[in-house]
Amino acid sequence: MLLALIKKELLALVRDMHGLAALFLMPMVFIVLMSLTLKDIYRPPLAELNYAIDMRDMATPAQWLKQLWQRNHGAPQPLGNDWQARLRNGSLKYVIVMEPGLSQELESAALSTRAYIHLLTEPGIDANLFNALRAELIGASGELKARLALAVPGTASPAPEASIEAMVRAERFSTAGPRPTSVQQNVPAWLVFGMFFVVASLSSLFVQERSSGALGRLQGLGVSRSMLLMSKALPYLGVNALQAVLMLAAGIWFMPLIGGDALSLAGIHWGALLLSLAAVSLAAVSLSLALACLVRSHAQAATIGPMVNVLMAAAGGIMVPKFVMPGFMQRLVEISPMNWGLEALLTVLLRGGGVADALPQIGRLAVFAALMFLLAVFLFRRRAS
Amino acid sequence: MLELKTLSHRYPNADAPALVDVSLTVPRGCVLGLLGPNGAGKTTLISHLSGALAVQSGEILIDGQPLQQVRAKAPTRIAVAPQEQAFYPMLTVAENLAVFAAAGRLSGPRKKERIEACTQFAQLEQFAGVRAERLSGGLKRRLNLAIALLPEPELMLFDEPTVGVDPQSRAFILDAIRSLAQQGAAVIYASHYMEEIEAIADRVAILDRGHVLREGSLDGLLSKSAMLLTLAADGLDAGMLSRFGTVEQGGAHWRIHLNAGSGPAPVLAALEAAGIEVRHAEFGRHDLEQLFMALTHRSLRD
Repeated sequence: MLLALIKKELLALVRDMHGLAALFLMPMVFIVLMSLTLKDIYRPPLAELNYAIDMRDMATPAQWLKQLWQRNHGAPQPLGNDWQARLRNGSLKYVIVMEPGLSQELESAALSTRAYIHLLTEPGIDANLFNALRAELIGASGELKARLALAVPGTASPAPEASIEAMVRAERFSTAGPRPTSVQQNVPAWLVFGMFFVVASLSSLFVQERSSGALGRLQGLGVSRSMLLMSKALPYLGVNALQAVLMLAAGIWFMPLIGGDALSLAGIHWGALLLSLAAVSLAAVSLSLALACLVRSHAQAATIGPMVNVLMAAAGGIMVPKFVMPGFMQRLVEISPMNWGLEALLTVLLRGGGVADALPQIGRLAVFAALMFLLAVFLFRRRAS
Repeated sequence: MLELKTLSHRYPNADAPALVDVSLTVPRGCVLGLLGPNGAGKTTLISHLSGALAVQSGEILIDGQPLQQVRAKAPTRIAVAPQEQAFYPMLTVAENLAVFAAAGRLSGPRKKERIEACTQFAQLEQFAGVRAERLSGGLKRRLNLAIALLPEPELMLFDEPTVGVDPQSRAFILDAIRSLAQQGAAVIYASHYMEEIEAIADRVAILDRGHVLREGSLDGLLSKSAMLLTLAADGLDAGMLSRFGTVEQGGAHWRIHLNAGSGPAPVLAALEAAGIEVRHAEFGRHDLEQLFMALTHRSLRD
């Protein structure tokens, strides 16, 4: 009997094009779009931005600073008379203005008290890029000023690749696991989102069954409530598993084909990944059952499910990564089950974590799943009595 | 087979009870026509029998055993063909039958045999591979019927099974239900179509506002009812006619539900004595609809 009821659920799902699109196509499109859009979020394209230099000081130290900048950023664009208009419309990303007196200031042993270098950027430049350019410019001019102050006539000049920058090496730390990329961030995010979207399909069929009398007929034939809930939960756990396989495969094989980074599963803890996915799936299916038992009409099923999903995603770090949120929002996202799922997957896929590392999130998801399942049973009993 | 004893039910927050002291019996091989307008309590009664509503007061017995016990032991002894199209529109006819057969605990060759028999009974063979949502209204009703018959129930409840179907399918469905009773099943057929009840029922229960107003064989009910005299004439008035029975004034016709033991002769004699010329006179027993109106002062289609 259970198999026949599961087959019925799957046939209904396969014949619902909108439901299939929401479950499989939508997360796939999000993964592709968001991964490509945010491709450079972990690797800002500092070296590839179009820029120009306005040399109002032609003395040698200012020329040295120009050479130093070119070493990392390539040759500047010709300045031209219309540089301000080009800067405003974004065809030039930034212009460095070297004011008269800069060379003298670079040679002076004293620290500066006024600005000789102006960094002018296009209005819409990303705040991270703006800060990185500013910091690099401060570093380059500081290094040049130090070299000039410390130069001893007659001694050998430093090696060409030598710089203060070489003294500092920065990297994202993880003991194991792959390199962070937008794909590595976006695949888990939109996979969690897609898995929770079973809410819409499951509750929609449930309402249809209830309003048509098919559910009453099944109960009239002696099918128990637990059997009915199980026949709904099991196929959607399978759907979640298929979603996970497809989304991970898309990250690994499809993303590189269209110019994105590849998702890497090298060195990850497979047990932790499977456990995290299972916990997300249980939470998603239990929430779906509870909502399906709660809603009373097709209209409610069609709006409440997706609305809950989008709200959980917005407040759960799916649409906007948690690390770019202000402090109080970062604490707020921790109430969203989608965030628990996302953090568990990021722990495994991005931070090289194992079962113990992901356990706090997995535990929360498991408790949430149990509570939602109990709520579903309670609502189902109340509706039937 | 089925016995209802003083069954009463009131929905939460409802002003009036949905059923009041309903007592009925339905033996095997009998079709009980449950007649009543919308809101009379027919669906509430059927919901009790299908197990969707718990008994608040009174008893429902199947072969002397409480319904709840029978349902727990063998839920498929009782089948309901609800008013709605209670199946899956996105599944084919064959897939729907397979799901409900499995839900009724049929398996193996028995399952196959029952699906074939019910498909044949409802004449759905050539539609087995068609999705239910693409069937006509009449074919959907037949599928509803076929699903109800899958577990070979002993008691069958049909709730307005012909609403929205063409005359051909209606005749087919009525014949099919009649044949089920002839094969030994007990059938309850709820409808507000008087002609259907007259055509199919052995016994009739008239239900209104939760009360059983009359119950018995169709002939018995009609023979016990008052005689009706319908008249068309100028100069009639209610005062003149009311001493002969209960008077209703229609457009051109007056109807008199004659007092027990009265015939038409005294009325016609009185009119003649008063110098009233009768253009039209019709005399006879009530039909079912007239009986219902006489009992409830409401039309069946209200």
